[in-house]
Amino acid sequence: MVDRSVANEIIVQTKERKPFSIMRLITNEYFLYGVSLVAFFSIWHYVAATKLLGKSLATPYEVVLELIRMTHLKLAGKTLWGHIWASAHRILIGFSLGALIGVPLGLFMALNRYVNAFVKPVFDLFKPMPPIAWISIAILWFGIGEPSKVFIIFIGSLVPCLLNAYNGIRIIDEELYDVVRVLGGNRWHEIFQVSFPAALPALFAGLQISLSIAWTCVLAAELVSARSGMGWIIIRGMKLTKPELVLGGMAIIAIVAWGTSLAIAGLEKLLCPWRRSIRDL
Amino acid sequence: MAEQSSKPKIICQHISKTFIQKGTQRVHVLEDINLEVRDNEFLVILGPGQCGKSTLLRIIAGLETPSEGEVRLDGAVIKKPGPDRGLVFQTYMLFAWRTVIGNVEMGPKLRGVGKEERRKIAQHYIDLVGLKGFEKHFPHQLSGGMKQRVGIARAFANNPEVMLLDEPYGQLDAQTRIFMEKEIERIWQTDKRTVIFVTNNIDEAIYLGDRIVTLKNKLPGVMDAVYPIDLPRPREHTDMDFLKLRQTITDASELVL
Repeated sequence: MVDRSVANEIIVQTKERKPFSIMRLITNEYFLYGVSLVAFFSIWHYVAATKLLGKSLATPYEVVLELIRMTHLKLAGKTLWGHIWASAHRILIGFSLGALIGVPLGLFMALNRYVNAFVKPVFDLFKPMPPIAWISIAILWFGIGEPSKVFIIFIGSLVPCLLNAYNGIRIIDEELYDVVRVLGGNRWHEIFQVSFPAALPALFAGLQISLSIAWTCVLAAELVSARSGMGWIIIRGMKLTKPELVLGGMAIIAIVAWGTSLAIAGLEKLLCPWRRSIRDL
Repeated sequence: MAEQSSKPKIICQHISKTFIQKGTQRVHVLEDINLEVRDNEFLVILGPGQCGKSTLLRIIAGLETPSEGEVRLDGAVIKKPGPDRGLVFQTYMLFAWRTVIGNVEMGPKLRGVGKEERRKIAQHYIDLVGLKGFEKHFPHQLSGGMKQRVGIARAFANNPEVMLLDEPYGQLDAQTRIFMEKEIERIWQTDKRTVIFVTNNIDEAIYLGDRIVTLKNKLPGVMDAVYPIDLPRPREHTDMDFLKLRQTITDASELVL
């Protein structure tokens, strides 16, 4: 039996190995991924090298060269790593504060209608306000130093964290609480065995949104007033008319933001094992 | 049946229920239900959709309070849910974030049973419902029939005196349904206790019940008739007596079942 099934598999595999053809190559997904990327960088390089759009575009090669130069050359007293850390540091503090206050507050509001009735009116007043709108008042209150930037990021992170924690609990099927009650559980069991675990995925979705808003906020704050950070690098590149500096800064921001988002996704995978196989399908 | 004592396990006395919707609108769901369920009896409550049978079950579970009348379990009035009654839901209601064994051990866990002990209990009921080998699976990885096996095992693992099943097979396809009916009968024979099984399926009712209570077609739900079933188990859907009984019940009720 075993021999036969192995033999069958070999036959199937040889059958599936079709001869090479152009049609099969251009319908291969991975081949198309490659074509797409090569085409993008080629066109970029061509447009930049021939100065088709004027002088304000650097070739991909120049951008990479500039970034490598910046890793050891200091700009305003900091290398590239120093500037990445300056922005990341602000995000870390602002985002953590936003999450540490927003998530518990959202959970409390969803679990207790008196807390909800007290907090919601004021929260609804501030909810639709874009966090960037706070920049000027933040500078008036805290000056142009670190606190004003952290404050903007905090405001930006707070809202999605709170909303998702709140909604994560509100969408739970009431009958799940019935299950706990019928099994002999009390209100605490309902909260710890149903509310919190069921809200966890929504909570992580909120953290992801907060994080991307936090990046927007830190850049905006640094564009307005800063002596360090990735936002400042971009502004610096613009003032010096160095497109390779601007583009390099943008690329680094994308990479670091992508990395932080992956970190949250990794944490979610660790804490929500039941979501793993759904995602990986 | 021989195992049954004549002493009633559950008594429903003049149960009525009116829900108040949107502040003013009143929905009269149950009217004067009087019911006695004997110890270790398999009682089926049969009725069409929207006739209040699920509400009756939720009242017995203690999740709803009756507007009038009372339910007694072993003589004591039921006021709230408790581990002496287990409930199986039509929509399974499994904890998506817990594995099969994590779901089944929930009852003992809430009652403070130690980890080793509750794992042993859970494993016993997982084996009983035929889910051996799926202990570490999450609910979304299981088929509908398997999910309901988890629901049944979870209710049993809490060792309730009364099992309440609310249209447990309503979401299953016909084949799986018949198979699961055989399974619940086997489980009940292995681990006898009082069962109240709510369904809208007449074949399911005759196949499983020691007794069938029918409810009338429309709201408020009122009791229509009671049919004792003395057919030997396991029963055959195509048996002459089975079909005769089916005809009797269908004729007596004004509805097409």
